[in-house]
Parts: sequence; structure tokens; C-alpha cells
Amino acid sequence: MSDRSRRSAAETINLMVHRVLAVGLAISATLMIAGVAAGLAQDQSLPKVVLSVGAALRRGAQLQADGLLSLGLFALILTPFLRVTGSIMVFAKERDWRYVGITMLVLAIMIASLWLGQL
Amino acid sequence: MEALVILAVAVVVGVIGSMLGIGGGLVLIPILTLFLDVPMKTAIGASLVSVIATSSAAQLVYVGRGLTHTRLGMTLEITTTMGALVGGLIAVHVSGRSLQVVFAAILVYAAFAMSSRRVDDAGFVPTGVLDTSYIDPRSNAAVAYGVRRLPWGMSASFVAGNLAGMLGVGGGLVQVPLMNLVMEMPLKAAFATSNFMIGVTAATSAALYFGRGLIDPHVAIPTALGVLVGAQLGPRLAGRMHSATLRWAFQLVMLVFAAQMIWKAVR
Repeated sequence: MSDRSRRSAAETINLMVHRVLAVGLAISATLMIAGVAAGLAQDQSLPKVVLSVGAALRRGAQLQADGLLSLGLFALILTPFLRVTGSIMVFAKERDWRYVGITMLVLAIMIASLWLGQL
Repeated sequence: MEALVILAVAVVVGVIGSMLGIGGGLVLIPILTLFLDVPMKTAIGASLVSVIATSSAAQLVYVGRGLTHTRLGMTLEITTTMGALVGGLIAVHVSGRSLQVVFAAILVYAAFAMSSRRVDDAGFVPTGVLDTSYIDPRSNAAVAYGVRRLPWGMSASFVAGNLAGMLGVGGGLVQVPLMNLVMEMPLKAAFATSNFMIGVTAATSAALYFGRGLIDPHVAIPTALGVLVGAQLGPRLAGRMHSATLRWAFQLVMLVFAAQMIWKAVR
């Protein structure tokens, strides 16, 4: 691969990383701040357990503190997963198959960890 | 109200940590466990969540400057995430007390490692392995470099990931000197790339902790929000404080915390 095309590939990746991070962080910070505010306004305390995804969505839609806080945590933990997934797509577009493979391996290990946590 | 106390502590730790260039987890975990009676594994889970938040926030700045070496980061991430997975599995299976003892040892190492850091960005050259370049923000000159000893880097990254997954600290403590001294890359690029990696590493072990019910929103959320805010304030306050004094005071605090953690674990 020539120097020029490698540079433009790197720039594409950087731009993608930048977008995923900004959106992920904004969503999770907003949900967490809203959750803390709701918790302090409702009963002056924060929940001690994370809800299941379904329950978090339901409670979050009702603007309940536990739902908002769980959704904020999901968004935060998922941001790096999305960032890695996005990099795979960018490397694929650039036809850099070696890095498609490397990045898919990283994502596989991350998913294995998520799965091992459920056992 | 306990949440507000944790929030305030996390803001202060975020400020100091970002001024000294170390992750907040090293000081947050001792404060949470020693003074606020948070169980060790809950404190580790909270620290992991805050590492993801600060890594993502800092990357917004680094990525724009082109300092992060994404290909190298992804390559090293193969062994770092493996280390994080194994470290996370160890952490959920051993006792909180054993983790405290290992943590104390790492604190002592970190306190001493803080004094000996190479601050040299000159004399780096392309090596033919993962060559890249960035524009230095101070001099506006392009710095081209490659990496050396990639196999060593990958092996040591497993250890960095393992510590991160097991103890909830970022792993930059091992990763930055590794990239700078062993793999011979410029310090600025090493900081940015290490920062890029620790978010992915922390998310790997946080996913495992999350499944095991070790992420407690009531501790993790104020910690993450506080460190996030503190880390934004730190660089703005940095000019007004004497950083050598601050560093010295911080090293002393880390050693005291290490002693207290060992005392608490064996008592």
C-alpha cells in the first residue's frame, strides 16, 4: 500500500473514531446526569443494581432514575465495542484485510468477555 | 447523600490525576474501600467505568491531532483484551482481600515509577514496522516514527491488560513506559495510543464485571461523572499549582494508602 493511501485510511478511521466517541459519550453522560437528577429528586438515593436491558428501557422511558442510570452505563460500556466494530468496517472499505482480521479478533475477545460474564 | 460524597471525591481525584498524567483508579479505589466502606470488587467495577469515560473524553482531543497510532493500538489490543479477560476472571474468583494486597504492591510500584519518566521526543525514526507520523502541536513539525520489538510489546501488553482487568486501573502505568522505552515511540504518541487502548481494555473487563453484578450504579455513576468533570478541569488549573510539590505529595499519599490497604487485608 502506498504512503498516500495509508494516510487517508488513517484519517478516515480517526474521523470515525471521533464521531462514535462523541455521540456515545454525549448520550451516556446525558442519561447518567438525568438519572442522578431524577434519583435525587425522587427519593434522595441511587439504585444499587443494574437492570436488565428490557427493564432499563421500560423504566428509562418513564424517566425513572434506575432506568436512566442503567441505560447510561450500557451506552458507556458499549461505546468502545462500537468503536472497534466501526474500525472493522473502515479497514474493510480500505481493503486492508490484515487489519480487518486483527480488529475482528479484538472484537471477538470483547464479546467473549461479555458472554463469560453471563455464565 | 453518599453519592454526592463519592462525586466530590471523584472530581478532586480527576483534577489531580489529569494534572499528573495518571489514571484516577490508583487513588480512587483506596479512597472508596478505606474511607467509604465500598467492597473491593465494587470499587474496581466503578473504576473501570470511569476509565472508559475518561479514555473516551481524552480521545476526542488526541484523535483530532492525529497522535493516536490506531493500527498499533489495535495490534497490541489483541493481547491486552486477552489479558483483561483473564484478569477479570481471576478477580471475580479470588477474594477481595487478595486483590487488595496485589493492589497495594502496584501502588508502591506506581509511586516510584512516577519519578522516573523519560520526557524526550527527539531522535525517533521510521523502522519499517508500523511506520506513521504526526504533527507536533508545539513545533508544528512532522514527526515520523516506527516501532521496535513488537513481539515484546505484545507480550507485555498482556500483563498490562491483566492488571487492568484484575485491579480496575487503566494499564497506562505499564503501557506508556513500554511504548516509550521498549518500543521506542515518542512519548506524546505513546500517551495518546495508550489512552486509546485503555478504553477498549476497560470495556472488556467491565463487560465481565457487569454480567457478574459487580457494577453498582450508586457507586459507579458518581465516580464516572466526577472523574470526567475533574479531568476536564485539571489541565485548566495546572498552571496555577506547583506540580513538583503536588507530585511529591501524591507519591506520599499512594504509599500511605498502600500500607493501609495491606493492613486492612491482613487484619
